Amino acid sequence: MNQHSDSETVNPIVLFSINHPRVITLLMTFITAVIISLAVLPNFFPQELNFLHTIKVDTDPENMLSADNPARVYNTQMKKEFSLSDIVVVGISNEDNVNGVFNPKTLANIHALTQFSMSLSWPDEHDATKTAGVIAVDILSPSTVDNMEQGGLGTVNFSWLMPEAPTTDEEALLIKKRALNIPFLKGTLISEDGGALALYLPITDKHLSYQVREALLTKIAEFGDTEENYYITGLPVAEDTFGVEMFKQMAMSAPSAMLVIFLLLWWFFKKLIFVTSPMIVAMVCALSTMGILVITGNTIHIMSSMIPIFIMPIAILDAVHILSDFFDRYNTIQDKRKTIIHVMNELFTPMLITTLTTIAGFASLVLTPIPPVQTFGIFIAIGVFLAWIWSITFIPAFIIGIPDEKLAAFIRSRADKKEENAHANKTFMARLLIKLGRFTYHQPMVILLITFSLIGVAGYGISKININDNPIKWFNEEHAIRVADRVLNEHFGGTYMAYLALEEKATENTTAQNFKPTLLQRLTAAEETAIQAGYDTHNAFNLLATLIKDSKLDKNSLELQLIDLINKKLDTASDEEYDGWDQALLFIDSEQQRREIFKQPEALHYLANLQAYINNIEVVGKSNSLSDVVKTVHRELLLGKQEEYRIPDSSSAIAQTLITFQNSHRPHDLWHFVTPDYRKTSLWIQMQSGDNQDMEKMETLIADYIQQHPMPYNLQAKWFGLTHINVVWQDKMVMGMFESFAGSFVIVLIMMALMFRSFSWGLLSMIPLTVTVGLIYGVIGLIGKDYDMPTAVLSSLSIGLAVDYAIHFLSRAREYTATYGSWEKAIEPLFSEPAMAIARNAIVVGVGFTPLLAAPLVPYQTVGIFIASILFMAGISSLLILPAFITLMQGVFFKQPNNA
Amino acid sequence: MNFKHLLLAASIGLASSLALATPSVDDIIHTANYKTYYKGQDGKAKVKMTITDAQNRTRTREFTILRKDMPTSDEIANHAYQGEQKMYVYFNRPADVNKMVFLVLKKLEADDDRWLYLPALDLVKRIAATDQRTSFVGSDYLYEDVSGRNLSADTHTLIGEDDNYYILENTPVDAASVEFSKYVMYIHKTSFLPIQTEYFDKKGVKYKSYTALAVETIQGHETITKALAKNLSTGSSTLMEYSKVQYDVGLPDEIFTERFLRKAPRKYLR
Repeated sequence: MNQHSDSETVNPIVLFSINHPRVITLLMTFITAVIISLAVLPNFFPQELNFLHTIKVDTDPENMLSADNPARVYNTQMKKEFSLSDIVVVGISNEDNVNGVFNPKTLANIHALTQFSMSLSWPDEHDATKTAGVIAVDILSPSTVDNMEQGGLGTVNFSWLMPEAPTTDEEALLIKKRALNIPFLKGTLISEDGGALALYLPITDKHLSYQVREALLTKIAEFGDTEENYYITGLPVAEDTFGVEMFKQMAMSAPSAMLVIFLLLWWFFKKLIFVTSPMIVAMVCALSTMGILVITGNTIHIMSSMIPIFIMPIAILDAVHILSDFFDRYNTIQDKRKTIIHVMNELFTPMLITTLTTIAGFASLVLTPIPPVQTFGIFIAIGVFLAWIWSITFIPAFIIGIPDEKLAAFIRSRADKKEENAHANKTFMARLLIKLGRFTYHQPMVILLITFSLIGVAGYGISKININDNPIKWFNEEHAIRVADRVLNEHFGGTYMAYLALEEKATENTTAQNFKPTLLQRLTAAEETAIQAGYDTHNAFNLLATLIKDSKLDKNSLELQLIDLINKKLDTASDEEYDGWDQALLFIDSEQQRREIFKQPEALHYLANLQAYINNIEVVGKSNSLSDVVKTVHRELLLGKQEEYRIPDSSSAIAQTLITFQNSHRPHDLWHFVTPDYRKTSLWIQMQSGDNQDMEKMETLIADYIQQHPMPYNLQAKWFGLTHINVVWQDKMVMGMFESFAGSFVIVLIMMALMFRSFSWGLLSMIPLTVTVGLIYGVIGLIGKDYDMPTAVLSSLSIGLAVDYAIHFLSRAREYTATYGSWEKAIEPLFSEPAMAIARNAIVVGVGFTPLLAAPLVPYQTVGIFIASILFMAGISSLLILPAFITLMQGVFFKQPNNA
Repeated sequence: MNFKHLLLAASIGLASSLALATPSVDDIIHTANYKTYYKGQDGKAKVKMTITDAQNRTRTREFTILRKDMPTSDEIANHAYQGEQKMYVYFNRPADVNKMVFLVLKKLEADDDRWLYLPALDLVKRIAATDQRTSFVGSDYLYEDVSGRNLSADTHTLIGEDDNYYILENTPVDAASVEFSKYVMYIHKTSFLPIQTEYFDKKGVKYKSYTALAVETIQGHETITKALAKNLSTGSSTLMEYSKVQYDVGLPDEIFTERFLRKAPRKYLR
C-alpha cells in the first residue's frame, strides 16, 4: 500500500493521515457537518424533525440536584402543598419625594402597573385549558391586598387596601399608615421606613419571567419620566436573564478567546497557513462536542455552556506541540514527510498519555453527585478525545498538504534570519529559556526553597478558603439584577426566601391504647357543658362512654365508628333526643379536630417563639407565619389594641379568628401558611443575603434552637425553598469535588508510573500539578474569593493541563539524557525546543483566555482568570521545579540510564 | 352532563311546550330575584358546604340559615316583594366554630348591617359592609351571593334565549366597585331560577361560575337544593347542599337581633 519508503515506522493512523490527507479532511468536515446539522436543524424544523432534540437552555439552579434528590422532591411537594409559586418582584422607591412612593402620582402608576400585570396571562402553549403567566389572584400589591381595621363604634372594616389610586397626599399617607399597621405587609409589601413599595407577581412557570419582565418594562416606559424608580428582580428573573446572558457569552467570549489565540499563534509561527490548522481543530472539537451535547438531549446549563471554553485550550495544546516540534525539526530534516513522521513518533506517546490524563481528570467529575457537573465532565472528556483524534490525523494531513516550495520558502526565510543573527541572537524567549535551564541546574536548592515556602503560604490560604455561592452574584456588580437586588434588600425585609415546614413526625401509632382515660375525662366535661346549656344528653353520652371503654380500636377508627353510629341515631331521633345526639356528634367532631395541630395554642406559641428567635438572626429581615395572621386578626377583632396582638387561648378561638380572616377578598392566602387540614405549616423567612453560607449558618442556629426547645406534638422542622436547595448542592459539590479530584489524582499517578515505568518518575510528574492546584486554591483562600461552583471545577482542568506539561518535559528529559549521555548535557537541548513548546503553549492559551475577563457573568470571569493562572503556573513549575528536583536527585532518577 | 338531567327533572310538570310570549327584562330579573331570595314570608334551611381546592383537599362547614322578609307582598310586577330582609346564619360544624353566628339586616337603599358572633372569644362584632364581594367563610361564595345582589347595581340585557333559558347579560353600573366586567345568567323559563351564572373579568375571561345541580319543589316552591360555585382562577370549588328546607316557618322578628346572637333560638335551628 505504502509507496513511500520511510526511515522510521509510525503509528498506522498517523501514516494513513499522511498518505490520505484529503480523506482525513473530508472525513472531518463530513462528521462535523452531520453533527452540527443534527443539532441545529431540529430548531428550525421542530415538526418535521420531532424525533431529534432541540437546543434547550436550563438556568434552573434546582437542576444542580438530580430530579429524585430527596431535598428537591420535598421542595416540590411543599411548594405544591402551600401553593407557592416563583415570584417576580417589582420594587418601587421614590427618593425625591418626602413621602416616598406615597404620593398620588406614584400610587396611580403603581395601581396602573398592578392592573396591567393582572392582564399578563394567556392560554398555556402546552395545555389550552390552562392559562400561563402572572397568577392574578396571588399578586401582592396595595391594589390587591386586604386591609383590616377599626371602623369606629366597635365595627371592624375589611376592604381593599387601595381599591383606587388616591387623589390627595392625605389619602396616600393613609394607605401607608394602614399598610404599616399590618405585620404581614410591613417589610414585605411596604418598606420598614415606609418609603418604598414592592409588588410580588407570582408566575405559573419561572421560564415566563423574562417575558413578564419585558412587558413590565414596556409598561413602565409608558409612564414617561417618573419621580420613582422601578427595580425588577426575584430569582426567576435572575435565572431567565442569566440564560439570555449565557448565550451572549457563548457567542462573544468563546470566539474572542479564539481570536486572541489565533493572533498569538500567528505571532509565534509567523505563517498564517500553519496557524489555521490548530484553529480548525479547536473549532471542530468545540462545535462537535456542543453538537453531541444537544443531540443527546442534554441541556445548555451554566456548566455545559463553559464546555467550549474548556475544550479550546486543550485542543490547541496538542496542535501547538506538533507544530512547534515540526518547526524546529524541519530545518535539519528538510523533508516535510520525514519531519512529520519523526515529530509524530516522538510525540505520539506523550500526546496519548496527556489525552488520557486529561480525560481521567474530567471524567472523574462523574463521581460528583451534581448532574450538570457530571454532564460537563463527560462532554469535556469527549471533546478532549476528539481533539486528540483530529490532532494526530488532521494536523499531519494538513502539513503534508502544504506545497513543498511554500514550506521551503518559509523555512529558508527563517534560516536566513538565523544565520544573520548567528546563534547568539536567538529570540529573546529562546535565550531566556536557556538561561533558565542553566539556573535550574546550578541553583536547584533555591528553586525548591521558594517552592516549599510558597506551598506553605498556599496551605495557609487553603485553610482560609470560604465555601460559598450565590446565584445572584453570578452577575456583575453593575448588572441591573444586582442593583435591583441591592436596593430592594436595603429597603425591605429581604428578597431571599427560605421556608421552614413544620409537620408531625411519621411515627407508628403515637397515641397507642392510653388515650381512653383522657378521652373519657373530656367526654364528661363536654357532657357537663351540654347539660348546663340545657341539652338532654343522658342517653347519647352514656352510650358513648360505654362504647369507648369497650373498644379495642385506635382513637381515629373509634371516632369514625362513633360518628357512623350517631348519624344513624340522628336520622331516627325524636326532637327531644336529637339535640343530645347532636351534642355527642359535636364532641366527636371536636375530638377529630384535636388532630388539627396548627389550631392549637401550644403549636402557635411555639411558632411565635421560634419566629422571635429567627427574627433576631443577623441576615433575617423578617419572617411571616400563621401565628402573625392569627395575632393580627385577633388584634383587629379586639378594638385594634396592641396588647391584643397575641394568640388566643383556645383552639376554637384560633379557628374563629381564622374563619374571620377568610371572610376577605383573599381567603386562599391562608393556605400559603398552613394546609387545609392544619397539620402542616410553613414559616416564611425573608433574608437580605442569598449567600449559601448565611443560609447554612441560619439553618445551624435554628437546629440548635429546636434542640434546646423541643417541639410540641411530635413535630419536626424541615427546610425547603431555593436558598435551601442551594445549600444542599453546595455541600454535595464540596465533598464531591474533593473525592473526584482525589480519585483522578490517584488514577493519573498510576498512569504516570506505568508510562515512565517508574514510581519515582510518576511521582515527580505529579509535582507541577500539585503545586499549581495548591497555589491556585491558596490564592483563592488568601484573597477571600468564595469557593463556588466555577472555582470548584477548575481543579479538574488543572489535572488536564498541568500534567500535560510535565509529561512532555519529563519524557524529553529522559530521552535527551540518554541521547546526550548525561542530565547536565541534556539541559541545554531540553531548554531549547521542548521548553519552547511548553512556554509557547502556556502563553498562547493563557493569554487567549483574557477576553473572558470582560464577560458580564462572573463565573466566566473566574474561569478566564484561573485558566490563565493555571497555565502560567503549570508552565513555570514544570520548567523550574522538575529540573531542580532531577538535578538534586539524579541518583534516584537516572540509576538505570538505559531505561529511557 | 349531570345538570341536564336535573333540568329535565325540574321541568317535569311544567308545560314547557306552551309558547309563551317573552316577558320583559324587568319581569325576568324580578321574577328570578323573587324566586331565588324572597319565596314565602320566611324560610329555613340546613346547609352543608364542601369546599374543594385545586389539590382536591376538602373542608366542610355546616350551618342553618333562617330568613325573614319584611314586606308582606309577593307581587312582582310592582316590585312590592322587595324590601328589608333579615338573615340569621348559625354554624354547627366544624366543632371549633360551633355556635358562631352571622346576622345580616339587608336593606335596599343603604348598606347592610352585619354582625358576627364569635363564641370562643365571647365577642359580638359589627362588620362594616362597605364591600359585599368578600368571601363567605372562606368559600367560593361571596356575601353578595348569599344575600343577593341589589338589582339596581347592574344594567340587565336579554342577549338571547333558547328552549329552556332566558340568557341575560348584566353589567355593573359602577364598574370600579367590582372585580367583574359582566355576568351572564341562564334563567330557566318556567321556574325562573338562575341555573347557571358566569362571571367575566375585566379582560373578558370567564373566571367564576355558579351552577344549580338539583332543584326540588318544596311547599310549592321550586328550590335549588344543590349548587356548585367554581372559581376558575384558583381552581377551588364550593358545593352547597340544602336539606330540611322549609318555608313559612313563622320565625319571630326578635330572633334577628343582637340579643339572640349569644343565645341561639335552638328551636328553629334543628
